Amino acid sequence: MGTDLPAISAGLSLYLKGDANMDEIKKAIVEFAESSKKTKFYFKDIEKAVQKVVPDAKMRDIKKACTALINDGTLIYFSTGSSTMYGLKGRGMTEDPE
Amino acid sequence: MALFEPKNEQKEIKYAEMRIYSDEELNNYTEEELKNFKIKHDIPDLEELEKGPWPSFVSDAKQGALHRRKLADDRMLIDRDVIEDMLGQLQVSFDDGETHWKHGGIVGVFGYGGGVIGRYSDLPEKYPSIAHFHTVRVNQPASKFYNSDFLRTVCDMWEYRGSGMMNLHGSTGDLVLLGTTTEQLEPIFFELTHELGQDIGGSGSNLRTPSCCIGKARCEFACYDTQDLCYELTQYYQDELHRPAFPYKFKFKFDGCPNGCVASIARSDMSFIGTWRDDIRIDQDAVKGYIAGDFIPNAGAHAGRDWGKFDLQKEVLDLCPSKCMKYEDGVLTIDNAECVRCMHCINTMPRALKPGTDTGVSILLGAKAPILEGAQMATLIVPFMKAEAPYDNIKEFIEKVWEFWMEEGKNRERLGELMQRFGLPKFLEIMELPPAPHMVKTPRENPYVLWKEEDVPGGWTRDIKEYRTRHKR
Repeated sequence: MGTDLPAISAGLSLYLKGDANMDEIKKAIVEFAESSKKTKFYFKDIEKAVQKVVPDAKMRDIKKACTALINDGTLIYFSTGSSTMYGLKGRGMTEDPE
Repeated sequence: MALFEPKNEQKEIKYAEMRIYSDEELNNYTEEELKNFKIKHDIPDLEELEKGPWPSFVSDAKQGALHRRKLADDRMLIDRDVIEDMLGQLQVSFDDGETHWKHGGIVGVFGYGGGVIGRYSDLPEKYPSIAHFHTVRVNQPASKFYNSDFLRTVCDMWEYRGSGMMNLHGSTGDLVLLGTTTEQLEPIFFELTHELGQDIGGSGSNLRTPSCCIGKARCEFACYDTQDLCYELTQYYQDELHRPAFPYKFKFKFDGCPNGCVASIARSDMSFIGTWRDDIRIDQDAVKGYIAGDFIPNAGAHAGRDWGKFDLQKEVLDLCPSKCMKYEDGVLTIDNAECVRCMHCINTMPRALKPGTDTGVSILLGAKAPILEGAQMATLIVPFMKAEAPYDNIKEFIEKVWEFWMEEGKNRERLGELMQRFGLPKFLEIMELPPAPHMVKTPRENPYVLWKEEDVPGGWTRDIKEYRTRHKR
């Protein structure tokens, strides 16, 4: 009740596959990153955003999807040295922190 | 689960084969030249630091600067003046009372979210050679066991591709390589991993480089193989080490015994301290030997002056924090249930007293330095657990803690802060561990571990109305 359609179908695909759909999670991550005003995101914020769209996505799968997006060059890491955030490549962040 | 097995045999590093610089290049200035050497910036405050009684990093840096000045142009891949500019900028920071480093950035090596920390000067026009000055953390070999061949090879590589300045060792034990440019990061990573067989360490919201004491390799007190556990968990949790997804940093440290030579209790989110659950082994003849002066107490560690005749009562029994030892009729006895593992008696008479034989680890959680909240020592959570390969029980516990922290921890919240926010009783409930007296640091420290009715045999009846007839609100 009240759950939107993508969430239901995502839930169904999880049930059928027994695992979160990697492409769907990746898509949710990119959509979240593109729609946000911020340029850097904590993993936790990504996780929450993905779980809104793909409710059954597990933390481990979201991490795997983030890693895949890092490896294909869609996302980049930003590290202060003590904590790490993710960002979309080419958006807001250059190599120089300013 | 099986233990990690490396695919390739460990390569023996031979400096003679790997070296970049000749002896002449490494020793390319005279004492006289060093004495008369002035760097290109005025650094009066830094030079004050050289006048103290201790060796100064300023003197070290000047040596490095002179060395670089005299190297041929094609013998280093980043700017010759890096060290001189670093010193110059530091002097300006002293003048201004504020730092001129910007930290953080998107630099790194492919696929890794840690190990490289972006550093930039905010005075790049004045100090162009340190405009980009990134730090690389190199995962140290377990217990920092490496030989001079390894170290000299790292030094040569770093002189060639970086500033040549290093910090040995950082708080997590890493070899910290200070200052290089972005273009050099991938070649450095390649050389470290492919030539030197050494990975880079952790930084950011990662598992940080695990660190262990000297352990069974050299120490008779080690209650478990710290190097083995450190290595196994480093390999097993590679994803956590290199691909950040934690709320903040997370550190493991491994102490083989309660002497705590890596101070895991104060410096790690998850501290493993070797312990035993049977009795301290006593060799009564050796006790008599110490009393008779046949053996030097503390294995000679404090033999620098004459402390007089060894006094068992004064130097051991009276110093036992729980007063659980006595010496009567030539026999030393220990009430082991009262022993708090202070290690004093064992350290004082290592020939006579040894840890028990049923050994394992205590696991303590939540220590941290005072970045966000105040500094915190770790809290004992698992009084005893066996620590034998392949360490499945330990891995299971680690993952339970991580699951909770990753689920409930706020961004940039350390485990210790999360435990404090939830409170110890709730945390223990989540960890499915019963509260135990061992977990209490000081009596009445935490009075809020409350019994639940189902925990008490027979339960209880409680009539609040009846209670209120006798106790007004």
